[in-house]
Amino acid sequence: MSGYFASAARALATSLRNLFRRPVTVEFPEVIRPRAERYRASFALLHEEDGDEACIGCLQCERICPSEVISIKAGGKRESPISGKKRGYADDFVLDLNACIYCELCVQVCPTDAIVMTREPEQPAYGREDLVLTMARLYANEKSKHRAWGDATRLNGMQVPPKPPKVEAPAPAKPAAATTPAPSPSNAAPDSPAPAAPGSSPGATPGGGPDRSSSSGPSEEGTP
Amino acid sequence: MSEGLLHGVVYSVLIVTVVLTATALALWFERKFAARLQTRLGPTMVGPSGLLQPVADLLKLLQKEDIVPQDADPAIFNITPPLAALAALGAAAVVPFSPTVVASDLDVGVLYVLAVGAITVLPVFGAGWASNNKLALLGGMRAVAQSISYEVPLLLSAMVPVILSGSLRLGAIVQMQADHHWFVVWPFFIGIPAFGIFLLAMLAESNRIPFDIPEAESELVAGVTTEYTGMKFAVFYMAEYIHTLVASAVGAALFLGGWDGPFRPGLHWMVLKTLLLFAGVYWIRWSLLRFRSDQLMGLCWKVLVPTGVALVAAAAAWVVLR
Amino acid sequence: MTALRTVQITRRVDPHLSVDRYDPEGELMLLHFGPQHPSTHGVFRMDLYLDGEKVVKVVPHVGYLHRAVEKLCETLAYVQITPIVDKNDYVAPMTNEQALNMAFEAALKLEVPRRARWMRTLFAELQRIASHLLWLGTFALDLGGALGGGSTVFLHCFRERELVLDLFEDVTGARFHYNTHTIGGNRHDLPAGWSAKVHAALDVIGPRLDEYEAMTLENRIFLDRTSGVGQLDTELALELGITGPILRACGVDHDLRRDAPFHAYDEVKVKVITSQGGDCLARARVRLGEMRESVRLVRQMVDAVPEGSINSGKPVKLPVQTKIPPTQVYVAIETPRGELGSYLISDGTQFPYRLKIRPPSLHALSALPYIVPGGTVSDAVAILGSLDPIMGEVDR
Repeated sequence: MSGYFASAARALATSLRNLFRRPVTVEFPEVIRPRAERYRASFALLHEEDGDEACIGCLQCERICPSEVISIKAGGKRESPISGKKRGYADDFVLDLNACIYCELCVQVCPTDAIVMTREPEQPAYGREDLVLTMARLYANEKSKHRAWGDATRLNGMQVPPKPPKVEAPAPAKPAAATTPAPSPSNAAPDSPAPAAPGSSPGATPGGGPDRSSSSGPSEEGTP
Repeated sequence: MSEGLLHGVVYSVLIVTVVLTATALALWFERKFAARLQTRLGPTMVGPSGLLQPVADLLKLLQKEDIVPQDADPAIFNITPPLAALAALGAAAVVPFSPTVVASDLDVGVLYVLAVGAITVLPVFGAGWASNNKLALLGGMRAVAQSISYEVPLLLSAMVPVILSGSLRLGAIVQMQADHHWFVVWPFFIGIPAFGIFLLAMLAESNRIPFDIPEAESELVAGVTTEYTGMKFAVFYMAEYIHTLVASAVGAALFLGGWDGPFRPGLHWMVLKTLLLFAGVYWIRWSLLRFRSDQLMGLCWKVLVPTGVALVAAAAAWVVLR
Repeated sequence: MTALRTVQITRRVDPHLSVDRYDPEGELMLLHFGPQHPSTHGVFRMDLYLDGEKVVKVVPHVGYLHRAVEKLCETLAYVQITPIVDKNDYVAPMTNEQALNMAFEAALKLEVPRRARWMRTLFAELQRIASHLLWLGTFALDLGGALGGGSTVFLHCFRERELVLDLFEDVTGARFHYNTHTIGGNRHDLPAGWSAKVHAALDVIGPRLDEYEAMTLENRIFLDRTSGVGQLDTELALELGITGPILRACGVDHDLRRDAPFHAYDEVKVKVITSQGGDCLARARVRLGEMRESVRLVRQMVDAVPEGSINSGKPVKLPVQTKIPPTQVYVAIETPRGELGSYLISDGTQFPYRLKIRPPSLHALSALPYIVPGGTVSDAVAILGSLDPIMGEVDR
């Protein structure tokens, strides 16, 4: 019997101790918990620095999506109004967030870093239609301040083996570079010029880094 | 005669109103208290600090569909919720909240309280039977076994203040404590164990953890109230709170001296003690795991009843030898 | 694999008891502990034949959560399979991904770099802490009720689990369903300052484990509810293929982390927690001990992660990139539930020919018809909770 009283007393004491601890509740929606930098919530399509659309309509993201939520109407090659060169475009790009499993594979395979993820803390919607990201919404998300850290170059840059720095001065650094500011120099980076050469190493990225002139269409049909 | 009747009616209405309002507040209090015990906040949005949450709950339950299962017994199914609430409220009639505020200070007050408290078994079993649901039936069976068994320690522990004060009238019991000492203070070696047994038996009668096996919703979905929806479920739910509140008041009157206090005895002491007991019940509820039904029965018959009998004998000896 | 003071039961319950020939005291009642129930740990049905309060026969029914995952994987490229099998054991997704990718790496004979192996070990151990915390919370819920002491333990456990999930969010970007493993290694590298955060989280979790033990293992009510309940004898456990904490609670000293090391377990010493008795209490002891051991392992390893690359293969660029030559492999790892195995038959294309997943919870559930009869309904709930089944991986 005394065992019951002792353990009851101990359980009651533990409860009482928790009474005086600060509550861990975050009072949503007045307070919104900050999300990690790499948090994956929604998507954005990007433009290049010169204003041209980054997406070249290569359909890699559509092919790799395990849930088949991306529908792209490839536009074929036409002349770019900004650079004058012929390149591929995507006429329509629809991503259905209802069925997306947020696996980040589409971000990883993009050869031009066109599709990235954003980290909105919340995405309320009144209906399923509101969660279908049309091309306009995807480009509008580009201006969102909730950009996540990962894009294709960075993600692949984390994975490839680090190359030793070249002796001669390397080509001026790639714009979207893997030389990122503070957020996360991966611990694998041996020394300061971080893995700066994902595009130049031959075997790593067949599509080539942010090189948009090569259309890098797939050489074989992948999906059944 | 008519003056006593008027007095009874007025104070009954008053007490019922107060108890029901207190139940709504108790709902709020329990949710906040339980939340703080779990390092969270509880209701905060509805009203200042969530005080209107019981109103919101009531409105929500009111607009739910009222379902009577197909093969249920409609008469019993419908009558049991209000019966449970009434039985719980009935015991409040004899509790002396202050020297003057008492609805009806019966000469057999303690007997009345125990008898009315025993009525609460019927609606619980009725709900279990009439629901035509095996889970509810299991819950009802367990509830009957538990309630009937724990009547005995409840009775035995309630006998201790009766013997010590020599009267079944609750007003006299409180008066005796006011004149001498509270029964948990002196004789503490009889008062404290008796109070402990009363507390455990009260927990078992109101189906509170650690004795809530009849409504164990990890096993029986919602026990006897599985098939109840909307307002009927709300009434059952309220009946539990009312039972706990009234039983706390009875316990405060029997053992803790009722409206007596170190200075300025009055209604506020009674309220304070009731609230303390009530908080204690919920502190226990939100901290402990539940007993299995056979362990619960074993505790009752093998531990509480012998101790209760011994305490009654000790109280009698005390009175004789003093 | 040595057996220390194993549990022996002379007369086993007959799981195929014929209710027509059984002679009950009153009337035999069939209670569907149905798919809609607060305590069945997912959609799961147990038919309980009750003689009063005593359970006489149990017939478990699984398959309510069957999603044809294995068939689906036959149409997905290897790199697409990882985010799908994340959802099998949805409480410990890291170990799901690891098991699958280890099978692919074994088939391709790829060697995973050392840094990736260390990271996988860290993730697996942190996931073990998170999974056991969830188990403890739900077990207390089963025993104590959602409106009562059980929910207090539950919320405390989830408060700590949030810390671990935040750590995973820092690395991978997702709190659940990470898709952070890939063929040849990992996809996400550790961010700067992660090990400091890990230490901070473990500084909170470590002392709280003492609190949990006080609220459970040293609590008389808990001991009464779990001691002697659901005793599983060792021979039956071995016959049914039960592994993991349940087997270790029966006294068998078997842990794949030590006996068949994978990831970086050959570089650290893992203390295998066993217990005697084979009942719910022994299983609870083993899991709480495993939590402590995991905390110790993570503290030991998180600062010593070797430098290097995290993927020995190429990062995924095309879904058709990986084709596995025709082969068959079986790879097993130790998840918080036991031995999770992936059996892969590949045929040279970019899709697997057959991918079979061996879930430990399915074998655990197959013990129910043997150990539940004889107890009451309350015991049935406690036993089911102590077996820690996750229906996602049972049904796939």
